[in-house]
Amino acid sequence: MILLARLDDAKAARQQKPLISFNGATLRLGGKTIIENLDLTVRPGEFLCIVGASGCGKTTALRLAAGLYRPTGGAVTFDGQAMLEPRREVAIVFQDYGKALLPWRTAAGNISLALEASRIPARERPGRIAELLRKVGLPAHAEKYPAEMSGGMQQRLQIARCLAQEPTTLLMDEPFGALDAMTRQGLQDEVLSLTAATNTTVIFVTHDLDEAIYLGDRVVGLLPHPGRIGIELDVNLSRPRDQLATREHPEFLRLRRQLFDFIKATEH
Amino acid sequence: MSLARTKPLLLPLAALLAFELWIRLAHLQSDSLAPPSAVLAALVAALADLTIPIATRDTLLAAFAGLAIGSIIGLGLGIAFGVSSMLDRLMEVTVEAIRPIPSIALLPIALIALGFGYRMEIVIVTFACVWPMLILSRTAVRGIEPRLMEVSRALRLTPVQRTIKIIIPAALPRIFVAFRLSAGIALIVAVTVEIAINPLGLGAGIMLAQQALRPDLMLAYLVWIGAIGYGLNLALIVVQHRLFGRAATAGAGS
Amino acid sequence: MSATAMIWRMASFAVAAGFVGLWQLIANLKLVSPVFLPGPDRAWTALVRGFASGDLASKLVGTLEHMAYGWLAASIAGIALGALIGSSRLMRTYIAPSLEFLRPLPVSAIIPVAIALFGLTEGMALFVIAFGAIWPIMLATIHGFAAVEPRLYEVARALQMSRPAVVFKIALPSALPDILAGMRLSLTVALILSVVCEVLAGLDGLGHWVLLSARAFRSADLFAGVILLGAMGYVTSVAMSLAERRLLAWQSMR
Repeated sequence: MILLARLDDAKAARQQKPLISFNGATLRLGGKTIIENLDLTVRPGEFLCIVGASGCGKTTALRLAAGLYRPTGGAVTFDGQAMLEPRREVAIVFQDYGKALLPWRTAAGNISLALEASRIPARERPGRIAELLRKVGLPAHAEKYPAEMSGGMQQRLQIARCLAQEPTTLLMDEPFGALDAMTRQGLQDEVLSLTAATNTTVIFVTHDLDEAIYLGDRVVGLLPHPGRIGIELDVNLSRPRDQLATREHPEFLRLRRQLFDFIKATEH
Repeated sequence: MSLARTKPLLLPLAALLAFELWIRLAHLQSDSLAPPSAVLAALVAALADLTIPIATRDTLLAAFAGLAIGSIIGLGLGIAFGVSSMLDRLMEVTVEAIRPIPSIALLPIALIALGFGYRMEIVIVTFACVWPMLILSRTAVRGIEPRLMEVSRALRLTPVQRTIKIIIPAALPRIFVAFRLSAGIALIVAVTVEIAINPLGLGAGIMLAQQALRPDLMLAYLVWIGAIGYGLNLALIVVQHRLFGRAATAGAGS
Repeated sequence: MSATAMIWRMASFAVAAGFVGLWQLIANLKLVSPVFLPGPDRAWTALVRGFASGDLASKLVGTLEHMAYGWLAASIAGIALGALIGSSRLMRTYIAPSLEFLRPLPVSAIIPVAIALFGLTEGMALFVIAFGAIWPIMLATIHGFAAVEPRLYEVARALQMSRPAVVFKIALPSALPDILAGMRLSLTVALILSVVCEVLAGLDGLGHWVLLSARAFRSADLFAGVILLGAMGYVTSVAMSLAERRLLAWQSMR
């Protein structure tokens, strides 16, 4: 019975109205087709990972979802409306944290930028900033400038600034690509717990297959030139995930094998 | 491609045309302004009767003489300060006390000591050119790869050999940038001295044209001085590219 | 400051004092005619006497005023125009090349034109100083605005920041190092042009003071004025450095 109920839940979730959908989305830039006829839906609360060889258009797909690019064909919708401009409930975490932070503002100042943009009154900001810094594990670094922080700390700060927007959706573009393995694992678990706590929808772009399976409810692999969907896998691994147990699970290894073969095949 | 090249020319051409039309249509009789066509005519006339060429020769003579002397002094001091940090530290207060004196403030001193003419102008240009050369060549020498200095020690080069064979060649691209900067300063200071007081060269020419209520000639001088400044800068940039390639120019940050 | 640095500083002051002593010796031995070269004692006496009578103080204030008004006007206009041009690709294509063309123009050449337009007045001086000082600031601002990290503009879009907010919170702070460097350069230009304008137009200030002293062969007064001009250059440049260090504290963290 319990098993059946779960299946029903899953089915219900499938039929739920999608939060983000790409309907035949196409993007041409300077005579080149970067993305062609992309059909993809993301359910509310889902953690979707996008993988693919470099140059397959995964970052471009994310920028379409963010409203930083407009599709030249088809449509990208958010909550039923066309996504033509960025919206405050959709936050984007860039890979190059060093360029995305304001070097002349302290950690607190960088978070404040998002609060100012949301017109949060000045007297409410310090409390919110302190809470956000605590959430991402930087409570003691409020007065530090980005240049005084390590790469991992800077990326935490960027995540905190995105959370300050109180987004329902988080778009992450290879956020941990430039970090060392230990820092990366710590941040993976933090992102999972932060987004689970607020039931945030996530699209996470990465070139690391293990990371994609470890984090995602679903993994989509893109084919390059032009970018389109090549493979779509549901990740049926229990949550909360665990860096050791999850990665040793036979299902994890099976998915990993499948994705690996897919990527291998696209690289020719 | 040709459209992209003409775009930057549109604005100045339009401005000149508007200026011309405005003066012609308003029948403006002014002691301070003249239409571009009259300016062009005055420029051609002054070039033809050699007043502008002679004035140019005088100005450039003073500017280049000052530039040469100032560059040599500045380069010598800059290399000395760059090689010996002891000398640099000992001279720091003296240099910082003299450097901020605006070059033009020396004008009256040079005037009573040397009178009007080339000499006083050259002295002031020299003073102005020493500082950028000193500061930048000092930085250039400090920036030489330490391994090169070790090589020169291992080879037991004498200080003179070391300066000629290692230091100057290694620092040359940046020294040339300093020289280009100084050349611009030399021209500016020379013209300024002539405008302020010294009765020779382009600066005196433009002042004379103003006092003679010849706005066409005055503006012709202005255009010519601008062209000289632009041409000098351009020529030195071309030389710099030829000698050191693009990398050196990019590194200069201009 | 560490103990060694202190010792070097003191040694450096001792060297400077040695040079002043040498100057005194040359003057005492009359190696150079006292008409041209007063000793430091006479220059100092003239400085003290000038301040005691109030003459020199009022001249100092005069020059400071010329410099400050011109420089401030140039800063405000230069930053505003530079921001306008630098933040628009269209403006950069059409206008920036013309400005680059004017960059090497010896700005003092505009003085005769300004005299023709405004006469020998304070207004002429203000125009000349502001005109000369605006270029470094405006060109630096254009460069600073054009060089803002594109990622930051995307952050601003993602946060849906308003246009004024983007200018004041992203572009202006990002361009600030360039702008301040331009303002520092302009400070020197403003001081030089203040002196030249005072010399030419007889406006109340140190430039006029040194010229009159030279004409009357009062060399002690002349040197007092030159020393004061050097001190002005020094103090304003130190003040600018302090402001830069304060405003750009985030840069030194790198």
